[in-house]
Amino acid sequence: MTEVHIASPLRDYTQGASTVRADGATLAQLLADLDRRYPGIRFRMIDEQQRIRPHIRIFVAAREARDLAQPLAAREPVHLLCALSGG
Amino acid sequence: MVASPVSLDSPAALSASERQRYARHLSLAEIGESGQARLRAARVLVVGAGGLGCPAALYLAAAGVGTIGLVDFDRVEESNLQRQVLFTNEDIGQLKAERACARLAALNPQVKAIAHPFELCAANVRETFAPYDLIVDGSDRIGTRYLVNDACVLFGKPLVSAAIHRFEGQAMSYVPGRGPCYRCLFPQIAEGTLPSCAQAGVLGVLPGVLGSLQATEAIKLLLDIGAPLLGRVLVYDGLSMRFDEFRIARRPECAVCGDQPSIHAPQDPPGFCTIEEQRRVPRILPEELARALARAPGSLRLIDVREPEEFARAHLPGAINVPLPRIEQDGFCPPGEGLASSDGAARADRPADRLVFICRSGARSLRACALVRRNAGREVLQLEGGLLAWREAIDPTLAL
Repeated sequence: MTEVHIASPLRDYTQGASTVRADGATLAQLLADLDRRYPGIRFRMIDEQQRIRPHIRIFVAAREARDLAQPLAAREPVHLLCALSGG
Repeated sequence: MVASPVSLDSPAALSASERQRYARHLSLAEIGESGQARLRAARVLVVGAGGLGCPAALYLAAAGVGTIGLVDFDRVEESNLQRQVLFTNEDIGQLKAERACARLAALNPQVKAIAHPFELCAANVRETFAPYDLIVDGSDRIGTRYLVNDACVLFGKPLVSAAIHRFEGQAMSYVPGRGPCYRCLFPQIAEGTLPSCAQAGVLGVLPGVLGSLQATEAIKLLLDIGAPLLGRVLVYDGLSMRFDEFRIARRPECAVCGDQPSIHAPQDPPGFCTIEEQRRVPRILPEELARALARAPGSLRLIDVREPEEFARAHLPGAINVPLPRIEQDGFCPPGEGLASSDGAARADRPADRLVFICRSGARSLRACALVRRNAGREVLQLEGGLLAWREAIDPTLAL
């Protein structure tokens, strides 16, 4: 299971949880599993053309991931970052 | 050798009074007398005298940054006082930029505080930024964030930016030629995609943390000390009390700092309208609207520009929901064309209908009015004071 850190604007989908767990050998599989557990969250991050939305950034072990096919190593945390606009 | 992020004139020696005031800085090897004199020579512009701008400006003034500009067109509201620590109850209704500058001058009379009480836009950003060495972005709109970022890239200004949401904040710095800009992190975001603090809520102390980080970054860049947040974004989560840091790289395809940029001049965000345009909007008081609706109910179309969840809680009978971000992004869609009317009796819009725009307090409906008036040439009215005023004057049962 991978530890997934959820950006504040996406926590409406995780009942407020800032950290959840999901399964997947690749980033795409992880996001699919995350969506099974928290329906709707994937579409907030990935558009119809399977691209990461421009206000979302995904980091695997603190390094930016731009390819959903990226394999995930065990115990590497995933951080979902969302642009914020408040000031 | 890498050049200093900020080029400043050779400063004169400190006075006896300055040595006393900044004694704790003078004890720091990284600052000392020459660093303190450098801070005095520095000119920093803070964009937005809000949750972030207030603590950032306070600490910059206390630290002895010689010139601090504050750009903000807004006035102090009671709901600001939960986090905007430059203001007091007595400031409610006053211009933020002016009250903030008065407070900074009271804190440190050796600092020159300059109020810029207008809305930053593409037409004035070059002139506004020109006298300053470094920009601190504490704006609360995504469009302004891009305007500030692009102007800093195009005009070669270092930038310290931050943003907040509920219990979470992000911060990063930009120095021309030394790393990615905000557009490298988030290339393009439509206005309205992200919830504002007014919609989502924010812990009052959160901008205190992030604004203090911005002041720290600004001082480091001015003094060329330490390791600034270049190529890194810092994320703070107040609920789990975590700081995380992520590496980000400059994007060669970035529209403003990339290898073949498509942005060559600052641009206003979609849906931008000036304060002057908003001032020219005709208003209607709740009592006048109630009389007009009783007299000729069919002559006015009520357009509620709040978010759907706010609209669902309570709205005026017959009002139609067209959220402001939709008007900003897509222009005005006439009511009756695929839009839900609260009374289920949506009818096609007639160009002669006068449109009355409504929101909670009046701020969003004012922008909507200005945009629809300019872009669609329609006769508009704004419900002055919004539904809060309506509840006060007409219907105390309105459950906002």
